[in-house]
Amino acid sequence: MNDRRRVNGPPGGTRPPVYASLLQSGTGADIRAQRQRQPTDLRKIFLKTGLIPSASGSSYLEFEPSASLAAARSNPKSLIPPSSALKLACTVHGPKPLPRSAPFSPNLVLTTHVKYAPFAARKRKGHVRDSSERDLGVHLETALRGAIIAERWPKSGLDITVTILEAEDDRWWGDVPDSHDASWGMMNVLAGCISAASAAIADAHIDCLDLVSGGVAALVSDDSTDSSSALPKLMLDTDPAEHRSIVSACVVAYMPARDEITELWLKGDSSKVSTADGDERSGHEALIDGAVDAARGAHTVLAEAVRESLQKALGQS
Amino acid sequence: MSNQRQASSASQTPHLSPAELSYLYTSLSLPKSPIRPDGRSPTQFRPLTAESNILPGTNGSARIGFADGTQAIVGVKAEVEKTVLSTDTLASGEGGESTAATSGHGSWVQMSIEIPGFRDDDALPVFLSEMMRESLVGAVVEGGDGGGDVMMAGGLKGRLVINKRWHWRLYIDVLLLSQPLSYPLPLLSLTTHLALLSTKLPKLKSQGEEDPFFDDDWEVAEYLYPRGSKLKATSGLASQYVRPPVTLLVVSVGENVIFDPSREEIAVADAVLAISVTRDTEAGNLKLLSIRTIDPPSRLTQPAVPNSENVNMLGATAPTEDIAVLNPATGEEEVPGVWRPRRGGVKRSVIANMIKTVLKKGGVGEEVLEGLEGVEVE
Repeated sequence: MNDRRRVNGPPGGTRPPVYASLLQSGTGADIRAQRQRQPTDLRKIFLKTGLIPSASGSSYLEFEPSASLAAARSNPKSLIPPSSALKLACTVHGPKPLPRSAPFSPNLVLTTHVKYAPFAARKRKGHVRDSSERDLGVHLETALRGAIIAERWPKSGLDITVTILEAEDDRWWGDVPDSHDASWGMMNVLAGCISAASAAIADAHIDCLDLVSGGVAALVSDDSTDSSSALPKLMLDTDPAEHRSIVSACVVAYMPARDEITELWLKGDSSKVSTADGDERSGHEALIDGAVDAARGAHTVLAEAVRESLQKALGQS
Repeated sequence: MSNQRQASSASQTPHLSPAELSYLYTSLSLPKSPIRPDGRSPTQFRPLTAESNILPGTNGSARIGFADGTQAIVGVKAEVEKTVLSTDTLASGEGGESTAATSGHGSWVQMSIEIPGFRDDDALPVFLSEMMRESLVGAVVEGGDGGGDVMMAGGLKGRLVINKRWHWRLYIDVLLLSQPLSYPLPLLSLTTHLALLSTKLPKLKSQGEEDPFFDDDWEVAEYLYPRGSKLKATSGLASQYVRPPVTLLVVSVGENVIFDPSREEIAVADAVLAISVTRDTEAGNLKLLSIRTIDPPSRLTQPAVPNSENVNMLGATAPTEDIAVLNPATGEEEVPGVWRPRRGGVKRSVIANMIKTVLKKGGVGEEVLEGLEGVEVE
């Protein structure tokens, strides 16, 4: 359903010209983003709460730019950045009374909106939420509803809005989509949304069971030799732009205090995985455990950010 | 209407009293032998009627009706479309391995779901269609080298490629004919599977990089998912054919794992997972394609008040009557027989157990795929 009252820009948008010679130079190996981190290393996260004064709770989250992006910024070789780093803002409005027309609800009614800014991805997004954004909204709602103690606010509503200012790429921009291609960047975006929304809810002083944090793990086959014997490897907190082919990925929303998962989204073929000797786990179990480890890492940042915001609030009063 | 829109992923919460919910939960969480309201075993599906190729105007279609009266119709239509070449393919010319043209693209499969009472941009239809599309286009087959089908190399996406410049675009339109009485996922997924099995594409007459030109004889049209002869299918060789995925709705109540939950059962579930599986053509067993958690409606239910906290019952109860015990499945203190809405998430062991029940040899996943294979597609 299109919004007929608004004049939207062209759906395709324009991209800076790419010259064939640039892509051909050594098959692009020198400009291709490469993962510099260890498989279990996570990217640094910047998370700050309370930046939007009109909202009852808010947070801003940013992922550390990858090494290749940092290098390209200091010493630009191309017009096109090699990868992107997630940046998003989350606002929480409420708890507020439900409108008179709404039916009685014994619990807090949670509504989540996830919206990409039109400039967030390499391809322009329209002003009207498309299906992937609605899909993300449902995932986020599932993740948060398990953590919020909803029966303490009967007849109230809580609006959570996430604006994505810079999204993750689904693959390296120069690659053509191959058979394993899917919207892998969405999973990183969801993990970021979960952590940021959790911080914003804590900033709004809404009771939760625990701070719920998001983590991503993926099975990656990076071998350019394309030998079929090489099994995909497990990596935590993958930036899709840094890998040739992501076989499957998993994002979880995890509460460390209760060791519980409130949201699990796994996709792709996880039947083959190269695990360490003596590791009897199957592919999907390794993937879920990896994502939980990544979420534990994000949780430390989340706890620190919430502590900072509380100290600030105590200092002001 | 607004109530429906809020209860996005969990479908509507049924209006059951806390006492009813508690009764349901207790009987479904009995260790080892849950008692379901309709007397089914934990892995048993509701009885259904299925038929395929019912719509003459489509490339493939199917109808499935559950015994409770909910019906779904799926029509699959295919169109020939020009492939947009990327800069890479243009630049590399002859020598380059243009992967876009050989492996297909996920956006070539379009899915729309229409559920009465929901707008097409409501959360539930969008979530359901994304869930089913994701496993459809995600099923990648390592073909080309012996074992797998050459035709199905690259899965459904690869099958849609005609040549470097042309491809098929597949429209899958799902129509639910009645208000969903329970979470409509199993119905929609089974019907889509059946419709895709019966989908035929016209036989290609042109060769190589020519503009596509098709045989106008519908009799010689080829199945989208190649089918074996009757003989092969009965002798158990059917497993080597690529099959569209099915998405199963699995709930856990206490320690029990229950399949195809009805509306009342899903209302008391501790965890709800949608698990998509397909047959692994190499190993012959089942392969996991995607998992999504679905918001269990039990979180939105109304809590009950134990007698010890109820002012009306003051002095009427013995103090020993209401003693909270630990529910091992949820890790919460609960008074037996007093309903509390679920809080928190799922333990990893519960998820692992649910996946294992679906994937294990001779398990529910295989049974469902075999059953669908048996539906006559002529």
